Amino acid sequence: AEHTLIISSWAPPTHGINALMWPKFTEMVEEATDGRVTTELKLGIAPPPAQMDLVMDGAADASIIFHGYQAGRFTTSKLIELPGYEGSAEAASVAYWRAYEKYLKDAEEHRGVKLIALHTHGPAQMHTSEPVETIDAVSGLKLRIPGGVGGDVGAALGATGIQVPAPKVYETLASKAADGVVMPMESRKGFKLTEVAQNVYEMPGGLYRGSFAFIMNEDIFADLPADIQKVLEEEVFGEPLSREIGKIWDEIDQAGRAETEATEGNAINAASEADQKAFMAIAEEVRATVLEELAAAGVDAQAAYDMIKSEMAAY
Amino acid sequence: MSALIHLARRISLIPVLVACLALFVLMIMTFCDVILRSVFNSPIEAATELTRILMAVLVFSVLPIISVTNGHIAVDLTDGLFQKFRLSRLRDAIIHILAGVMLYWPVERVWVLSNRARDYGDVTEYLGIPTFYVGWFITIAVGISAVALIVTGLLYLFAPQYLSEPSK
Amino acid sequence: MTAALIGFAIVLVLVLMRLPIVFAMGLVGTFGFAYERGGSIFDERGLKAALSMVGRQIMDTAQDYGLSVVPLFILMGLFVNKGGMARELYAVSNAFLGHMRGGIAMATVAACGGFSAICGSSLATAATMSKVAMPQMRRYGYSDELSTASIAAGGTLGILIPPSVILVIYGLLTETSIGKLFMAGIIPGALGILFYLFAVRWTVWRNPDAGPAGERASWSERFSALGSVWAVLLLFFLVIGGLYGAFDFEPLNLTFSPTEAAGMGAAGAFLIALFRGGLTLGSTFEVLKETTFTASALFAVLIGAQIFSNFVNIAGLPEALIAMVTAYDVEPFVVILMILGIYIILGCVFESLSMLLLTVPIFFPLVTSLGYDPIWFGIVVVVVTEISLITPPVGLNVFILKGVVGDVTTGTIFRGVTPFWVADILRLALIVLVPVIVLYLPEQMGAMGH
Ligand code: NA
Ligand code: NA
Repeated sequence: AEHTLIISSWAPPTHGINALMWPKFTEMVEEATDGRVTTELKLGIAPPPAQMDLVMDGAADASIIFHGYQAGRFTTSKLIELPGYEGSAEAASVAYWRAYEKYLKDAEEHRGVKLIALHTHGPAQMHTSEPVETIDAVSGLKLRIPGGVGGDVGAALGATGIQVPAPKVYETLASKAADGVVMPMESRKGFKLTEVAQNVYEMPGGLYRGSFAFIMNEDIFADLPADIQKVLEEEVFGEPLSREIGKIWDEIDQAGRAETEATEGNAINAASEADQKAFMAIAEEVRATVLEELAAAGVDAQAAYDMIKSEMAAY
Repeated sequence: MSALIHLARRISLIPVLVACLALFVLMIMTFCDVILRSVFNSPIEAATELTRILMAVLVFSVLPIISVTNGHIAVDLTDGLFQKFRLSRLRDAIIHILAGVMLYWPVERVWVLSNRARDYGDVTEYLGIPTFYVGWFITIAVGISAVALIVTGLLYLFAPQYLSEPSK
Repeated sequence: MTAALIGFAIVLVLVLMRLPIVFAMGLVGTFGFAYERGGSIFDERGLKAALSMVGRQIMDTAQDYGLSVVPLFILMGLFVNKGGMARELYAVSNAFLGHMRGGIAMATVAACGGFSAICGSSLATAATMSKVAMPQMRRYGYSDELSTASIAAGGTLGILIPPSVILVIYGLLTETSIGKLFMAGIIPGALGILFYLFAVRWTVWRNPDAGPAGERASWSERFSALGSVWAVLLLFFLVIGGLYGAFDFEPLNLTFSPTEAAGMGAAGAFLIALFRGGLTLGSTFEVLKETTFTASALFAVLIGAQIFSNFVNIAGLPEALIAMVTAYDVEPFVVILMILGIYIILGCVFESLSMLLLTVPIFFPLVTSLGYDPIWFGIVVVVVTEISLITPPVGLNVFILKGVVGDVTTGTIFRGVTPFWVADILRLALIVLVPVIVLYLPEQMGAMGH
């Protein structure tokens, strides 16, 4: 190939991000450019919050960021994290990109890097060692929830936050420092929750969704020949890539669910109708606060929210 | 000259005290966090981010001191050889000056990165402490280490009598 | 690949010129990274990229939550020492083992094994035990070679006997059951103690002056010595019990993670030392000061090692190595031997965590595709990582000893470590040839999880 993009990534090598998403990205890039551009994946160069600096300064050409790891930097990413949306990660990721183009772009929160995809993992559910059957039982639990909307929802449910990075989740649960975690179904496999958090409390649409972005170095992109830039912009970057990555999030969620069902002693408790109603009320409050935050950042928050809601419903 | 070095030694007690305090607070905080969480079911939510800040403080406060007191981990397999040819002092001078000078660029970069974090509004998760403060602190600590290394290297060359520890 | 190998060579030369390791690895890592990103070591964009990576390493390493175990376990060891508990522990060791030649060194090895059961890090185990054991062995007239080597080698057990930071990381990297990995480490860890005891015996057999025999204690003396170690046992019980859920009942519910165990252990040791009158404001300050100095130097080395690792990673050395391994179309067992050979060579210069992070993603798919058990490979990787900690010229456990003890040369320690290194190689051979040693306990667990 004429050009090789160096990708810096985190998460375990076997995690869907590295085992499926980057290979998909590579496949799309190679196909669009007839093999003139390819990639090389590098793991463990720096922790997640460092990735944006690395890409900005050219230590890597592309990377993946989880917006919640950098508190204070991203506000608009909270829009897609809100509970209450119904639909797959694929639908959410496509809607997210479209809403970004229309409403979120102007906030310039990714300034300094080229944004090439936005996506979200599947609905985050609660995983605990002791079974949780009602939403009231969440109050008083010590839960590991990432920052952003997840944290707001946890607080609204009366849970106490335990702050550990994802790779430390297993240890934290095994030593009972936390009663549970809120993560998507895929992490039951990816982070071995089947061993330490045998019970899932499942809320349709999840307690939140995590927001991710694929980013690229601006100079590296500018240095590519014009025809390659054009074809990448048209066939890979933006909505096409966001859609494909969203699909993979759905796929690995299925694998996590299958593993749970196949593991003895694991159980999935669906939230009752009444609990779903009660959660809707909580979600409503969180949403109001978050939309206010977004509005303060200069975004037409309500319109953006309505757009995602209707795009997902129509998907 | 000797008065200046004397003053530097006296002042160096301050960062040591800061580092010791950070470590002690880290120990007490971890203890309290576990007890509060286990017995009273109310952990210190900000314990993790405070741990991170306290570690940066304890590691970098004393960095200038260990940099100029042979505190860095090094391989001494060839010490005998250097002594034999009476090159130890020259070697130590070069090592200190080289190490000090080479720190200039990382220091500059840490400064840039910290100010970038400031520009983006990065804060800690629970307490909302701006992260660039930690970055500034690290910039200053590594910067002082660089200057101290160069000064020590020059002392090795021109005024070894001012060095409390003879070159080993 | 060539660039990485040249980088290796330059680091070795600089380190031998006595440039501190952080600067040697940092310098070569920076220019190497710049070369890989910019096509020349002076390329402006390449240098900016490299320095950004370096800057983030400097800021992120010291703020790594998981690494907070390092200063806290060092602190615990020092408080244990100040509380007079180390002396008591050695009084007991001496009572039971001191009459043998090399007895105190053997007790040190056993104590390292015991401490490993509460500490997830080899560096912290070595640092703690060197504070505790070194003065004692000196008091009993042991040679510096044997004293330092028994701690440096014994300390490596920290990452094999559970809990283990390295096993946790391996488990996450490879999606292998961490509970089973922990179980799998127990027998090889016990074997490690046994083999090191033989290494001590061998050393004193070669040179009886290295570890002189003491007086034989009577049984009543032994029991009264045992009675004085209650504080140590209490502390160990607090840390181990908290880790394995011994206090997990109403209304206490006292449990903690390995990271927190370090803080609990340090606070517990502090309270015991305080209660026994072993601490003044001055001596507390001394303990804290010593800990921060040791921790600062350790973090500096970690930063340097990670910068260098990033260069090697971006230069594609791991991929090149695997291409070499796969190029030889040979028996799976020969591939394993080649991998072990590569590990032992890498172990000369690499810090344990970097070695694991660099190699496991490359070798793991190959090894499992050959039909080897992932749990078994995890233990093999940890054992070779242990070996790397005492392999010259860059053996971190040896440097810890050097850092803590001060007035010995690393040459002396590396000399003393040789029989322990040989014992490690023999143990590695045994584990490779008889995998059931590793797999027996985890298989007993069956589907229990952890
Ligand atoms: Na251990
Ligand atoms: Na080594």
